[in-house]
Amino acid sequence: MTWIRDLFARRALERDLAEEIRQHLDEKIDDLMLQGLSRDEASRLARREFGNVTLLEEQGRDVWRWPFVEDGLADLRYACRQLRRTPAFAFAAIATLALGIGASVAMFSVVNAVVLRPLPFPASDRLVTIESRDRRGPEPDTLSYPTFLDFRSKSKAFERIASFRDAGLTLSSRGLSLQLRGQIVSWDFFQTLGIEPAAGRWFLPEEESPGARVVVLSHETWTSVFGGDHSVIGAPVTIGAVPHVVVGIAPAGFNFPLSSRPDQIWTTLAHDASSDTVTPMTRQRGARVLHVVARLAPDIAIEEAHAQLDVLAAAIARDEPDQNKNIDRTYVTPALERLLGQSRDAVLVLWAAVSLLMLTACANVASLLLARITDREREFTLRLAIGGSGGRIIRQLVTENLVLAAIGCSVGVGVAVMAIAWLLPMAAEMLPRAQDVGTDLRVLSFTVALALMTVLLISAPAAFRVARGRFTRPLGAGARATTDDRQAARGVLVAGQVAVSLVLLTGATVLAASFVRIVKRDLGFEPRHLMTFSVSLPSVRFPLDRQVQFVGELIERLEATPGVTAASGGMPLPLEGDEINVSFEIEERPSAPSERPHSNMAIVTPGYFATIGAPVIAGRDFTATDDEKHGRVLVVNQAFAERFFPGQSAIGKRIKPGATSRRDNGSVSREIIGIVGNARQELLATHPEPIYYFPYKQLPWGAPSLVVRSNLESAALESSSRRIVAELDAEVPVHSVRSFEDVLSRGLMAPQLEMLLIGSIALIALLLTATGLYGILSYSVLRRTREIGVRVALGAPRAWIVSMVVRQVLTLVMTGIILGSLTGVAANAVLRHRLGMTGPPLAPLLALACFLMALTAAFASYVPARRAASIDPTEALRNE
Amino acid sequence: MRSRDRKDLFPGALELMVLQSLRQEPRHGYALAQHIKRVSNDLLSVEEGSLYPALQRMLRNGWLKARWGTSASGRRVRLYALTDKGHSHLTHEVSSFERMLEGIRLVLGPAAAARAWKP
Repeated sequence: MTWIRDLFARRALERDLAEEIRQHLDEKIDDLMLQGLSRDEASRLARREFGNVTLLEEQGRDVWRWPFVEDGLADLRYACRQLRRTPAFAFAAIATLALGIGASVAMFSVVNAVVLRPLPFPASDRLVTIESRDRRGPEPDTLSYPTFLDFRSKSKAFERIASFRDAGLTLSSRGLSLQLRGQIVSWDFFQTLGIEPAAGRWFLPEEESPGARVVVLSHETWTSVFGGDHSVIGAPVTIGAVPHVVVGIAPAGFNFPLSSRPDQIWTTLAHDASSDTVTPMTRQRGARVLHVVARLAPDIAIEEAHAQLDVLAAAIARDEPDQNKNIDRTYVTPALERLLGQSRDAVLVLWAAVSLLMLTACANVASLLLARITDREREFTLRLAIGGSGGRIIRQLVTENLVLAAIGCSVGVGVAVMAIAWLLPMAAEMLPRAQDVGTDLRVLSFTVALALMTVLLISAPAAFRVARGRFTRPLGAGARATTDDRQAARGVLVAGQVAVSLVLLTGATVLAASFVRIVKRDLGFEPRHLMTFSVSLPSVRFPLDRQVQFVGELIERLEATPGVTAASGGMPLPLEGDEINVSFEIEERPSAPSERPHSNMAIVTPGYFATIGAPVIAGRDFTATDDEKHGRVLVVNQAFAERFFPGQSAIGKRIKPGATSRRDNGSVSREIIGIVGNARQELLATHPEPIYYFPYKQLPWGAPSLVVRSNLESAALESSSRRIVAELDAEVPVHSVRSFEDVLSRGLMAPQLEMLLIGSIALIALLLTATGLYGILSYSVLRRTREIGVRVALGAPRAWIVSMVVRQVLTLVMTGIILGSLTGVAANAVLRHRLGMTGPPLAPLLALACFLMALTAAFASYVPARRAASIDPTEALRNE
Repeated sequence: MRSRDRKDLFPGALELMVLQSLRQEPRHGYALAQHIKRVSNDLLSVEEGSLYPALQRMLRNGWLKARWGTSASGRRVRLYALTDKGHSHLTHEVSSFERMLEGIRLVLGPAAAARAWKP
């Protein structure tokens, strides 16, 4: 540990060294003068023969130190002092880096969680999805059972092929009924993915035969419903009123088609193999309902598998022209890519945008740093001239930038954490695996690498400048270039930034305006104090009459609940985004089937319009007597009446809808008895869509969802609703309980997220543009200090100097604004097309964006312009 | 950076010369520089100043000790002397240097070796 002692003795050692070098030179000069040289000559010669005193002394001192560490610490202290001395610069640089790094880290943790991580299954890169391809369009389509079974039995390219399709299943066990998210799968679905059950076993091949009744439970269902009891395996449970046997438990966290809400139960395709009334789904070539996942056989490339399946698909298309004539090809896609779907592209595009921001941030900070270097040029030139090494100066600059990057990175990580916490809940519904976004080793390494890359990028131009300056600019050379090619390049960069920010700003304002419109939009009904829930009535236990009776009793009981003002049923409900689109024939204008108009429809109980708060504008609402014994009737909304009966009253008109009840034996003529307001089915649609309503008793397609208006707390209302249903039938599960305010805010999530994302990126871009402008103007003013000094000395007024700087800003900003406006107009057209917007007009929004941009530019140029105006000519010229 | 002072010599040559010079008597920096210049026939010309980082290194390694004293001409100077550790290091270095020279001689042959040493 001698170095500790050395540390204390150092001062003495350094003094000794300096002293003895001085003595050496003295003695040498004396000797040389004895040989007859003058003092001046002797002194010069002595110094020449001795070498670079400063450097040698430095090297001598270095021997006693841990130079790297100690120089580093000294540099660090110096760097912090330098930053404190110029708080405006420090703030601008750190804020720029923090925004760039923050956005990058936030986005990278999303990319990491969503795109980069493989599927959590063994050899998951061998998993592919299979879809069919229709000759008439590029959209991939699901498969029918017969096609899937053909592929499974005839293809040699796969180790295993498995099908799955969504199905809600009602689980009843021990007096409890639950509606579960389920999948109907082929027997080796789990084996295809390559996972082992947490308990029990997976399905067997023979359990695909009609009559087999087996289920696998998710780990979460097993623990929450059955308390993790192992005796459940092999025990009977009731699924949709039919007894099934639990054979196994899936591992905890299993989530195959990556979903924000994982599946809870699986049963085999035996479920689809039997039907009393129609041809079972497993034998309908036209019922395309299956998703297919497969594991490639060893040594088979994905292209090879694809080619084989195409041959099979073409053969099926030949053999079964009625259903499959056009479906003669397939898509085989790596499973992860397919499951992520469009979100993968969206995430990667955002990632590219954010990376661009990060690079811009680096360029801007580098430009700020160059301005600073110019400011400190004399310091560095002096240090080089007295023998300081260029490497040492560069190292010190790098240390300063390291400090900047470190602070920027810490603040940036904070920004990232906040951004993720803020945006992720909104994205969770739309983005697969969003719930897994977090910090892991990869994100940490990325952050560190990013910080280091930042240091490198922002240090390079300045370091280059110092290295070059050492050779080309000796002390005292007053001549300075006033123009510079790179200055022009930086100008292009800044103008480009102005343009890009302007486009982003325009996009953000258009999105914000459209969001405000959506929020302010008249929904046509009153979502406050309105709640909905659904019940499952399996047809085994609830034949048609029983179903209608149950719904009637339920509504009666709900209405009798204290605090409830109205209750009724409807499907599909407003804002939920579900739709049933059915064609119809207007009796006074008969037409061929292919020419008939079509529109959305809904099935509702009497009092539905009053419950949701949609006004009856003409005619009447349904009543309890609009049942199968009375005349067939319809209610239409205003949009429907205006679209199909323009300029006349729709009341009393008769139409013949394609939607039929089993009791009616075909299409029957119905009379329009009422017109109601436009309650929006689809929140984001631009115009209210036409819709026609059927009375539930005349078209009992299934149990409608219940809507309840009350002044009760939602929790209280939910528990009394559950109690009422349980009293009516303990085995009927209540599910999808939610208030319409929730439905509304969920519907607003996508446009809100879009607006916030684009808005944040636009804001960051704007701030970056500000620092970019600030950097380039500061630099240019500093470079032209001498020129400005000369001009002032020659009598140029201050105002002229300011206008010189302002002209530079104007050139840059105007170039950017013109470019940006042109692009903005084009981008706006695309956005509007996608949003289906007719207004708001672009001009004021574009003007707003330009104004913001100009304001930012003015702000950024204020300090450099003031500095230019306050240049003292004597000072500027003496400086040289 | 630290190796810049040796660019004209093989590694360790300056140290070797300093140690050898100090074996005879303690000397101060200027005297050492003059001595080395004289005995090496100006052959191994180095910047005089590069002596000092080398001296500092040898001090740190414990081969030398230094004290302030007075020179023959009455100047206050810093006198360097060899330590025991310096002695044994020198012995070791000299023998390995001679082995190396012998090796070079054998490879180059007598004529080549003679040429190399008398340019």
